[in-house]
Amino acid sequence: MEAELDKVAVGSGASLPREETPGTRASERAHAIAGAGFTALIVALGVALVAATMLAVSVGAVRIPVSAMLAAMTGRGALTDTQHTILFVIRLPRVLASSLVGGALAVSGLMFQGLFRNPMADPYIIGASGGAALGACIGILFLSQISIFGFSATALLAFVGSVATMAIVYSLARTRGRTSGVTLLLAGFAVGTMLTNSTYLFELFDPNSTAETRLVAAWLHGTIGIPEWKQLAVVFCLFLISMGMAYPLMRRLNTLALGDDYAHQLGIRVEATRVFVILTASLLTAIAVSLGGLISFAGLIIPHVARLLLGPDNVRMLPVTALAGAIFLVVADTFARTLLAPSELPVGILMVFLGGPFFLYLLRNGKREYTL
Amino acid sequence: MTALLRLTDVSFAYAGRPVLNGVNLEVPEGSCAALIGANGAGKTTLLRLASGSLKASGGDVLLGGEKPSSIPSRQRSRMVALIPQHLEVPFDFTAQQIVEQGRTPYLGLVRGPARADRLAVERALELTDTLGLRHRIFNELSGGERQRVKIALGLAQGAPLLLLDEPTQNLDIGRQAELIDLLHRLRGEGMTILASIHDLHLIQGNFSTVHLIEPDGAVISGTAEDILTPENLTKAFHCAPGRHPLLRHNSFALGAM
Repeated sequence: MEAELDKVAVGSGASLPREETPGTRASERAHAIAGAGFTALIVALGVALVAATMLAVSVGAVRIPVSAMLAAMTGRGALTDTQHTILFVIRLPRVLASSLVGGALAVSGLMFQGLFRNPMADPYIIGASGGAALGACIGILFLSQISIFGFSATALLAFVGSVATMAIVYSLARTRGRTSGVTLLLAGFAVGTMLTNSTYLFELFDPNSTAETRLVAAWLHGTIGIPEWKQLAVVFCLFLISMGMAYPLMRRLNTLALGDDYAHQLGIRVEATRVFVILTASLLTAIAVSLGGLISFAGLIIPHVARLLLGPDNVRMLPVTALAGAIFLVVADTFARTLLAPSELPVGILMVFLGGPFFLYLLRNGKREYTL
Repeated sequence: MTALLRLTDVSFAYAGRPVLNGVNLEVPEGSCAALIGANGAGKTTLLRLASGSLKASGGDVLLGGEKPSSIPSRQRSRMVALIPQHLEVPFDFTAQQIVEQGRTPYLGLVRGPARADRLAVERALELTDTLGLRHRIFNELSGGERQRVKIALGLAQGAPLLLLDEPTQNLDIGRQAELIDLLHRLRGEGMTILASIHDLHLIQGNFSTVHLIEPDGAVISGTAEDILTPENLTKAFHCAPGRHPLLRHNSFALGAM
């Protein structure tokens, strides 16, 4: 069957000239962005993130003009006390939190997609989010007073839940020292759905809807809260640590694309690499879930778009997905809190409406990616 | 000539089902050998034992005089490259990105490819005549093109011993001829080759040695003339004389084919 497709070479010997086919010339690239364009893209995304952050903090019930902020930053003016409070106590922490959530979800999605060799994987589908959600719910409802290093029990339990879920999923999918990607995906989906839905039981058992249950409900729909600066600093450090862990794993994920056997042949320790990828991606999921609850699609869509532009090289995808995910969530969360002001739309729900159609559009137009 | 690969009395069984039994086989440096046998006779298994990705249940496999299991994996991947029959790749990796993966054993935890790695990739693309395919999507290549890119991936590994699993399968006769030309070119570059081959008519004149896996799991070796006799083939392939054009002639007159 493959031989039938062979309409390129007409000659039998290597010395015979070949027919020019699309893409045979070196100037023609398979992916839109290559070489120097990559650096330009990173710079552009960095600038866009700063711009999106400034715009996001300027809009709201009280408008703070960007020009006023720029003047204050350069020392040519000053913000009023009210503006200062709104900016540093309410808006900036929330916008920074949403950029962290977006970056973490996107990179986590990228890692899960690489690990499962499947463009459909993301922390939500694979169960990591479900585990984090259950852990965080327990934290919100029962242990809300406890905090360690400025870290609420919620955040810690989110991480424990996410890693524990992945450990369970992983051991379920492992037979005789080998792990099947498809089994892993299916096991993750089943366990994750069970965990996510079990969190709804908490609502059921608590009929007099307290502030905590309302918080849990909002949070299951995906709402980015207003974190304390201390919490933000710790989460940012964790984000940097997980990015540092992710970087060397990216090249290994490229090699794993050749399959377990080939990667092993090339000297990769396949199982150890998998465990590190799962740990790092679970940490990133927990970061996102602890700040913003359950937000679907971000981890799925951002790596997709990046792959369409850049091609599937994970090393190049890493910084691009992190930045693009951050920008995407900053913008989405700004819409979520301003579209229906004064009431607020959970960003998770906005994401479903934004992400669903976009994902289907990609599915129809980017067929090349889905040839497995 | 020293033997790059030597199997002594090697046996192997999958979950109790014996596949190879008392295999003795030697691949001297610079040779180009064909491995033949019926479907399921253990050709792929033998190649995987030789590459160290499977461990023999009995006997000794020696790769460059050492047991594959005692060689550190990165070191081993610089000694032998196994090009599998099928390479399933998710996503739209380009041919060059695939070939670059062959340099994995030379890269550090963080350090990316250096000049030597890029040169090795260029050389592999050049030798396999795939420079023109480098920016094309691997999954969109034709069978013949894909085969050459897979060989480039194996070459990029920089190993002197190349094991090929069914490199001519699913290729039309023109692409088969190209592939045989490529094997000659690689041999000219000093590579040692062991390839499992289904198309017996490609063997004569192209492979210095033929190894035949017999139904009992042992291997007989010799020149094409010695091994490709109707008696041997009838026995090894469970094919009665006269049932197949290759077995109808008294001698294996392949020069005519």
